[in-house]
Amino acid sequence: MNFLEPFVIALSLLAGFDTELYQVIGLSLQVSLTAVTLALIVGIPIGALLATQSFFGHSAVLIISRTMLSMPPVVIGLLVYVLISRSGPLGFLDLLYTPQAMMLAQFILVMPLSIALSHQIFTALHSEFDLFFSSLGLSAFRRILTLLAEARYALITVAMVGFGRAISEIGAVILVGGNIKHLTRVMTSSIALETSKGNLAFALALGIVLMLIALLVNLLSHTLDQTVLKEPGHG
Amino acid sequence: MDKNLSVAQPVLTAQNLSVERGGQLLLKDINLQIARGMITMVLGHNGAGKTLLMQALHGILPPTSGNIQGIERHLQKMVFQKPVMLRRSAEAYFDFVCPDVSISQKQHWFHRAGLTGRMNSPARALSGGEKQKLSLITALASQPELLFLDEPCANLDFEATAFVETELLAAREKGVTILMSCHHKAQAERLADYILLLKRGRIAEYSEKDRFFSDAQSEAAREYLAFS
Repeated sequence: MNFLEPFVIALSLLAGFDTELYQVIGLSLQVSLTAVTLALIVGIPIGALLATQSFFGHSAVLIISRTMLSMPPVVIGLLVYVLISRSGPLGFLDLLYTPQAMMLAQFILVMPLSIALSHQIFTALHSEFDLFFSSLGLSAFRRILTLLAEARYALITVAMVGFGRAISEIGAVILVGGNIKHLTRVMTSSIALETSKGNLAFALALGIVLMLIALLVNLLSHTLDQTVLKEPGHG
Repeated sequence: MDKNLSVAQPVLTAQNLSVERGGQLLLKDINLQIARGMITMVLGHNGAGKTLLMQALHGILPPTSGNIQGIERHLQKMVFQKPVMLRRSAEAYFDFVCPDVSISQKQHWFHRAGLTGRMNSPARALSGGEKQKLSLITALASQPELLFLDEPCANLDFEATAFVETELLAAREKGVTILMSCHHKAQAERLADYILLLKRGRIAEYSEKDRFFSDAQSEAAREYLAFS
């Protein structure tokens, strides 16, 4: 087998819409998109609250989220495994080795990121608008809604960064998903398995898709950054 | 020395107002009454405490001690020295600040400010003068009883300054009470009914305009008039 042969086969698998390949891609996207969406829904309001309100446990939430940000994904996978294993506190939910378990692991992986980044964004906006909002007598709820609208581009970037982190993760999803064919096999875990089996073409095809996703995410992020830079009054 | 001017029907009264930040007492024992339906001009050198006093009286800066009594916050509006613009069109910004103003009234205010052609422009893309005009018309359109203006004409050209002054005099005619800070003696002479001079966080002099300019009682006021 020459060096280029796996690449050629990989491209033919992609072009021929190989069922197994696209099933893995589909599940990966489903798991990561669901996890990231939920992490943003929970994380962004927490980031906004941390930036705009003082409450009991404020510093603790911030420190915990920042600590979790630097926690290795495989450790998060281990914690989720302990939680949802049969003898764990959430064992009754029977989640181990299911796509939902992988979503939970990715959710926990991305949520601290969405809290920390949105906290940073909202802190900057809050310092700009605080007196203005106070002068208008806006409620805490309306302040947060307005800040969300103001931060829209930056928050989309947060979403893309979170998606990039989730889709490229392997340690946690293998631990809690088990890499079961047709059930919990996603792109990263499949690449590891197929490479170990010598099926380089299949692994390369998935690698190409992951790289294309990374390229797309970065292109969108770059376009948004340019849009924000062109915004009147930026900086 | 005039420090505790007593006015008829005060719209706002501050008693023993002090503001401390970072271990520094920035406003000290402020006792004052703001005259209803008049323009009170707050003068003072940089760092005298003009902005802090306006923010504390407006209720957006909690005082360290003392109390403020007067009309409710929703009947007050404030125009900031650097207008705060949202990332939306000038018209949407107007709607955000004045949600209850009718479309015809909105168009009237934009026309009055010469901003009709800028209604669909992003608010943050307006020039400094246009932003200040927009900020002022949103404050006036919501028909406040008490209007705070923190150096609204700083960095404005002659035309924009003239617009601001015309609108403020018109608002006073309608009974709006105005508390405004500025650095220009000439502007204070044109607009003010009362002058409040601050020095290092304290009231140095508070008197009627004519008396302030012709017969200042305090050393601080005479010094201010001599060097400004």
